[in-house]
Amino acid sequence: MTVIDPTAGDLAASSVSVPDAEVEHAVDTGEVASWLQVTPLMILLTLFFGLPMLVVLAVSFFDFDRTDIIPAFIFDNYIDLFRSEVTLRLYLSSLKFAAIVWAVTLILGFNIAYFLVFHVRSLLWQIGLFLVCTVPFLTSNIIRMISWIPFLGRNGIFNQALERAGVISHPLEFLLFSDFAVVVAYVHLFTLFMVVPIFNSMARIDKSLLEAARDAGAGRFRVVAEIVLPLSKTGIALGTIFVVTLVMGDSFVVRTMSGGQSASVVSALQNEVAALQYPPAAASAIIMVIIVTLMVAGILRLVDVRKELAG
Amino acid sequence: MANAGGSGEVSVVGVTKRYGETVAVKDLSLTIPHGAYCCLLGPSGCGKTTILRMIAGHETPTRGDIRIGGTSVLGLPQVRRGTAMMFQSYALFPHRSVLDNVAFALKMRGTGLSERHAAARELLAKVQLEKFANRLPPQLSGGQQQRVALARALITNPRVLLLDEPLSALDEYLRLRMRGELRRVQKELGITFIHVTHTQLEAIAVADMVVVMANGHIEQAASARDIFVAPRNAYVTRFVGGQNVLCGKVEGVTDGTAVLVSERGARLAFPVSGRQPARGAELYGSIRRDRIAIEKLPAGSLPPNELNAIVGEVHTIENQGSYVKVTVDFADDEEFVAHVPDDEFFRDPLDIGDRVVARWSASDINLLDDGLNVRPAMPMAAAAS
Amino acid sequence: MEDKRPWTFYAFAAFFTLFVLFLYGPMIVIYILSFQGPNGGMTFPLNGVSLHWFEALISQTRVGDIAGAFHRSIGLAVLVALITVSVSVLAGLGFRRRFRGSAFAFYFAIASLIMPGLFVGLGIALTFRLLGLETNWYLSGLGAQLTWTLPFGLLIMFAVLGRFNRSYEEAATDLGATSWQRVKEVTLPMLLPGIIGVALFGFTLSYDELARTALTAGSENTLPLEIWAMTTNVTSPTLYAVGAVTTIVSFLVISIALGSIAFIQRRRALGIRQESLAATE
Repeated sequence: MTVIDPTAGDLAASSVSVPDAEVEHAVDTGEVASWLQVTPLMILLTLFFGLPMLVVLAVSFFDFDRTDIIPAFIFDNYIDLFRSEVTLRLYLSSLKFAAIVWAVTLILGFNIAYFLVFHVRSLLWQIGLFLVCTVPFLTSNIIRMISWIPFLGRNGIFNQALERAGVISHPLEFLLFSDFAVVVAYVHLFTLFMVVPIFNSMARIDKSLLEAARDAGAGRFRVVAEIVLPLSKTGIALGTIFVVTLVMGDSFVVRTMSGGQSASVVSALQNEVAALQYPPAAASAIIMVIIVTLMVAGILRLVDVRKELAG
Repeated sequence: MANAGGSGEVSVVGVTKRYGETVAVKDLSLTIPHGAYCCLLGPSGCGKTTILRMIAGHETPTRGDIRIGGTSVLGLPQVRRGTAMMFQSYALFPHRSVLDNVAFALKMRGTGLSERHAAARELLAKVQLEKFANRLPPQLSGGQQQRVALARALITNPRVLLLDEPLSALDEYLRLRMRGELRRVQKELGITFIHVTHTQLEAIAVADMVVVMANGHIEQAASARDIFVAPRNAYVTRFVGGQNVLCGKVEGVTDGTAVLVSERGARLAFPVSGRQPARGAELYGSIRRDRIAIEKLPAGSLPPNELNAIVGEVHTIENQGSYVKVTVDFADDEEFVAHVPDDEFFRDPLDIGDRVVARWSASDINLLDDGLNVRPAMPMAAAAS
Repeated sequence: MEDKRPWTFYAFAAFFTLFVLFLYGPMIVIYILSFQGPNGGMTFPLNGVSLHWFEALISQTRVGDIAGAFHRSIGLAVLVALITVSVSVLAGLGFRRRFRGSAFAFYFAIASLIMPGLFVGLGIALTFRLLGLETNWYLSGLGAQLTWTLPFGLLIMFAVLGRFNRSYEEAATDLGATSWQRVKEVTLPMLLPGIIGVALFGFTLSYDELARTALTAGSENTLPLEIWAMTTNVTSPTLYAVGAVTTIVSFLVISIALGSIAFIQRRRALGIRQESLAATE
């Protein structure tokens, strides 16, 4: 048995002909493979997302008449947008919905995820109940939305039940085609986007941390506040990004469920599109994208979401 | 079964491996002879797994060469290196039966179904798992999975088997049994085994050759016996255990024996055969824990004024069955341990806090590299016996 | 469960039950109401039980081209599922290595995911308009839906691959598998349940998609667009009948996907592989 003297290493190293370039090449093949694997995705997203968004940006500076858009470089669309009082009202309305829905879905989502992760002990039950929450997400949003109509309507199940119980003598009017109905539908549609990321974060928490905290004398609520909440913050951030962008970007729910009484930035934009006023719609979209991007960037500054997503 | 052929001598030649800014392995050279059982031993992050993965071809050295049987294998696909790897988690394909797992490599070569299953059965019989051939890996116990992994790795008739912490997933009882089993298989096949571990006793128990690593370089590579009885420096001594590190400043040298004074004033004698360390130089030595005699010091009596006798308080006592491990607080930052044979200890048991004197013979001291400018002769060749 | 559960468990369980009721209750109600008698209205009470509104669906005359929209939607969903599986599984594998530009590529995909759907649709519609092309469901509509299903599929792949130990692939390489053999024999079979999950999401997200398709489907509507149009001008239980039918389709697809995932997992956990059994005999 021999052990090479350290000096022999130096000798050998000088005789080894492994140019660094060759090594770099070996590293490169991995990188090239990755690029090739990601290329189809990038091509599709560039064609159907990157390029179209650039077109929106360009068209937002275009002129238009009754029937057509006219290539130009004018700021009128933006100026009109900022001059209009409606703009501010629409944004306030959208932000109001986003804030309410965010708060409600966060409370619901956090508690549901907490229940599934920390209270349901059998894995089979956990998977089963998780699926129960997930399956509606895979069915039609419109159908789920309109399914509130027979519930909340003037002669709907809710009013009928309340009247029969003698709680009210006249049907409640505010239930359907109101902001209330809009919020109910949003919560119904989007809570899952809060549940899943928080569930994923919580599932990664080592249960012994909770036991350690309890041993140290922390009560139930202290354990949640000191351990569970901080360790699920990436999930909360991710859920927040989903819910806020979904609500801010929606027009269909707000139209249907408010019966046309409320509007959002995007529903107003949809009206402009219907009237073939593409440049103002594009300008409005760009402003919205900037605002949403700032909100998302703010959240990302607080929490590193990529680590959570990309593992 | 024809051997994939050639010598299983593995040479790592001047290898450096960098991951971005961090250097995992620094200009490391090592030769493992054909048919040796070699353990790479070190704490986690010392680079031992990186070396193993570079030999296997799962990593490429940033600089340097890897040679198997004398020829460079850099750039060769894993399968043409003549190596096989057993993974820490075994990496048995959960969707394939035990038989198909073992036969996998033959399937990749295009061997027909009946032929490859026959070969796989033969190997499974060798590891006494024939009756589990049709099970899926998750249905087997940890020890059984380990044997399947071994069989799967051996089906290609490798000249080198690479084992990444092969025993770490097993419980204590199985671990002791399996390490004997691995040693037996290696002897039977006569191929090179390279086994990564962070457990000192495991390395010493199975290996011909132990390579102690730290921070990406080799601290000592020698026979298992030399690693234990003649560690080269304080790092190896502390990591392998079984010996205490002693240190003092030279007062004078007479007849090949240096007299030193330790930080706490104890006088030590080190044999320094032939070397002439300067007065005031700091020397390190090690003394085996089982070569120390411990004696209770009666209250009020003066400490003995003799060489190689130190006085301290008993700090901990651990009964290890056949001996008792007594820790004495001799130096502030260095653990000083004596292994007292059980019958001797229980004749007059010590208690924590007792004042004791510990003595040893100067001839049992193993001089360490640290502090010596001159490197002692490399502990070569001892293992070849 | 041997030990007693804390009171909070029951509080949470009750809360969870209410949430499930909130999720499913309204949907169940409209399924019941879709069997409303011919003279019944949009809400309770049931005025008899009949299949009248389902028949009205098929007769087409009153409600537009439901059958055509249904066929288009199924075709589109299959197309989207196929593309999503192949593209996002491949990209997911690519993202396992850090490569130059990986952060950009990742955020680009996420941006595509969270961009309000109507804006993407508007962009695609304008692009087609500027290029002088007609929008249609099978090109502009397909592309619009992919901007949503591809990133979604990618995220699912991240979750799936995050639990996939690389040493399986290294073991395959050690044992002589070529890269293609490795993918075919080890990677894909082991990832199969996750891949089915990606296909399921691709299909259902496309099948129910509205915001992105609204401006890009062209002259021929997909089913969600048809239903959306109905919400504004149909005031009969036909709407519920449509809802019931499309949900049945969704449930069918979900059950097939989940069933096959469960089957694979079960076989892996308990079963004995048929192939090697057969070989023994």
